[in-house]
Amino acid sequence: MPTTTSSSSSATASSSSGNRQADVFSRLASSDPEVKLKALREVKNQIIGNRTKKLSFLKLGAVPAIASALSDADDSDKCNNILVQSAAALGSFACGFEAGVQAVLDAGVFPHLLRLLTNPDEKVVDAGARSLRMIYQSNLAPKYDFLQEKNMEFLFSLLNSENENVSGLGASIIAHACGTSVEQQLLCEAGVLEKLVILLDGSLSQREACLESLATVLKNNPEAVSHFVGLEAGRYLSSVTELTKDRYPRTRLLSCLCLVVIYNTSPSYFLNMGTKSSLINTLLELLNDPGQSGDDAALGLSSLIAEKEDLQKLAYDANAIKNIVDILKTSSELQPKRLQGLISSLAELCSKLEDCRCSFLSLQVLDLLINALRHKNADVRTAACICFRNAARSIKNLSAGCFTSDHVILPLVQLLHDPSSSVQVAVLGALNNIVLDFSSPKSTFIEYGGIKQLIELSKSMDPNTRCSALRALRNLMFLADSKRKEIFYSDVKAQGFACLISDPEPPVQEQALALLRNLVDGCISSIEFVFDEDGLILDTVGRQLRKAPQAQMAIQGMYVLTNVASGTELHKEAVMQQLFPQGQAEPENFMLKFLQSHESQLRSATVWTIINLISPSSPGALDRHVKLRNAGIIPQLKNMVNDACLDVKIRIRTVLGQSMSFGDN
Amino acid sequence: MPVRVVESSAPAQVSGTDPGNRSPLPHSSLLGAGQAFSGTQNVSNQQKEEAWRVNVQIQGVDLEHGYLCGTMEALNVPMADTPVITFWEGEIVDGKNYTFYTGKWEAVREDDMRHWSKFPSFSPLQGQVESDGGRQLDLRNYPYIFMRWKEQYFVNVGTDCGLTIAGFYYVCFSCSDGSISGFYYDPNSSPFQKLELKTVNEGRSGFSFSSYELQ
Repeated sequence: MPTTTSSSSSATASSSSGNRQADVFSRLASSDPEVKLKALREVKNQIIGNRTKKLSFLKLGAVPAIASALSDADDSDKCNNILVQSAAALGSFACGFEAGVQAVLDAGVFPHLLRLLTNPDEKVVDAGARSLRMIYQSNLAPKYDFLQEKNMEFLFSLLNSENENVSGLGASIIAHACGTSVEQQLLCEAGVLEKLVILLDGSLSQREACLESLATVLKNNPEAVSHFVGLEAGRYLSSVTELTKDRYPRTRLLSCLCLVVIYNTSPSYFLNMGTKSSLINTLLELLNDPGQSGDDAALGLSSLIAEKEDLQKLAYDANAIKNIVDILKTSSELQPKRLQGLISSLAELCSKLEDCRCSFLSLQVLDLLINALRHKNADVRTAACICFRNAARSIKNLSAGCFTSDHVILPLVQLLHDPSSSVQVAVLGALNNIVLDFSSPKSTFIEYGGIKQLIELSKSMDPNTRCSALRALRNLMFLADSKRKEIFYSDVKAQGFACLISDPEPPVQEQALALLRNLVDGCISSIEFVFDEDGLILDTVGRQLRKAPQAQMAIQGMYVLTNVASGTELHKEAVMQQLFPQGQAEPENFMLKFLQSHESQLRSATVWTIINLISPSSPGALDRHVKLRNAGIIPQLKNMVNDACLDVKIRIRTVLGQSMSFGDN
Repeated sequence: MPVRVVESSAPAQVSGTDPGNRSPLPHSSLLGAGQAFSGTQNVSNQQKEEAWRVNVQIQGVDLEHGYLCGTMEALNVPMADTPVITFWEGEIVDGKNYTFYTGKWEAVREDDMRHWSKFPSFSPLQGQVESDGGRQLDLRNYPYIFMRWKEQYFVNVGTDCGLTIAGFYYVCFSCSDGSISGFYYDPNSSPFQKLELKTVNEGRSGFSFSSYELQ
């Protein structure tokens, strides 16, 4: 039980209040309605707005006791007061308090509360509706089966009610229980939008309930959005837009969130730059709101600007980065949801625009982000990783070493073992970018055992994890020196590599080949890796290429061959072995297939292999040229002199120029 | 399955991979991340002839935004004990993101035309650029890429090393053989210092390509 202070006088006070609490229970069970009523009022007055009291009464079993009081009450007028007070108390327990909601539902009193809605006494109806609305604010609220006709009728009877709490309840049910597009469609077909928009002109509470439920019905549903916008020639869209300037912050927020949903579903209704700007500015201003509105505003902002470069630019111009960073720097203890929303917004701002990333990095907030990496809430850790990932898309800042220090790398490496899978995925994304240190000699990541961890992850059961780990290794090997390549290879070896290249999932194969491509680039001695263990790796590459692979995988495979073919005579001959395996009759050489691919990069990569094979400076070039010509490859290139892709065309002309120098017309 | 950089709408634009076809200018293999070039910058003035050896490495290319970046290493620089490395960012003249007109860095149109016209491969375009800024030009099929490179910071020395990075380079890249020529422009330095670079193959007999993929 939470204690408030530890002084002895309050110990006495708490024990006497404990007595009073125990006493109130016996009065709740009293057969005298007056006594019961007084006890109900007492509990209700104590718990309103007081989470500590709610918890303490909950633990003593207040909810079942009050539930009994409600269900035992008969229909007499005297009992109406009991119904009102017990409903109010139950509603208060459920208000913003998940354990309270659970207790109310567990007490089985939900059907009784529903019955109150048809009571002749307006006060009883009100209390019941308010109480049910509290329950429906929670994720624990019972599912509402919109597919059942009688449920739909009941819902509409609520929406049609003159009583604002009852119509508000109808809207709340929609806002919190409508989850699928089927449900959205059913509701729209039944005319829910027409009913909801009436509430926009109602009381504050109706307006807010309406805005919330509109957002739910319209989300990701272009038909619903189109229907809504069409109502009275756009009058209601204008109303919602006007409400973003309302004097109540929660109304401003809910109308903004509604517009965010409409924008994300059907952006064409927002051609006006002014509206977009205004929406962003309102959300930015709401970030400072201390309550739940501030939390929701942060998440709303990140949702709005996600993937949209133009909105990110507008937000950047409105000083969003500085505003958010200021909030992060000056607030002592932010709720996890708010922190997640703010960091997610920064992450979205940094996702596409270099100016934003530079601005963000110049504000020196990496320490704040590093703290967030250690937050106890997994969503916050995930958001922080994503923010690092996006900020590290700046090659300029990567090159300047902004992310290479120990106190950035270490917490990220530690998160590779985070219990939450969303954190693991996000940190792999961040490390993927951060390990690009452009051949800087020192790598903190490697010093912290990063290579071993990535190799481990490349053997994960989950193909996405394997792919991400290999991609990060690929980036780590980009322009790597021999020492770094040796460290990596010694932990993988030829067998390990052959397995990676032969992974059942094509995207994983693709990353493994891209990694190999980087490994054999650079210093010419790096090519020797593919000859280890009797050429196991090179043979595996050749085998995969002969299996009619997907284009992206083939591109990487061909670049491996290109890179190997840029080596010595022996290397070039080894590539020829892969192209023309002895003793195998190939119906059509895979190079010919690749040259006819729709993918220009594959055509390009294949031509580069040929360029390197017949590079005039090497002694065996002529013989290789003859072989390629006899296999129909050189003639195929002659047919491609006007390839649609300029790069391919240029490379082909290089080959044909080389070809002519061998006396081939 | 993992989202691909080139096809997805979200991730990075600066690429170390071979990009798709959304860009104003098509991809050119030899102007890609990881490609290295080597040559000289002629820094002659009235007193003497002098040339510095220069190595350039491309670190990222974002054709959609007409952006690229990399490092430049100057060797045998008299004022410095070690090679001096700078990080530069480039603007690609593609008619959408950037035109032949610089519009900043103290370079006016006359400066632009004076420099671009020093590249033989610019002559076929000169007339149109002079008349309408090159708005009608289709550079997609032209086997030369024009850029401006601006050094942003020193990577390995302090700003007190006695060297300046106040100016920028007008650059012409040949798609066919990857050769690069450029002219340094800085109103406070000797004019028309020429940069001449060729692709480097690190002792290989042929071309080699590496890549990375940002998430």
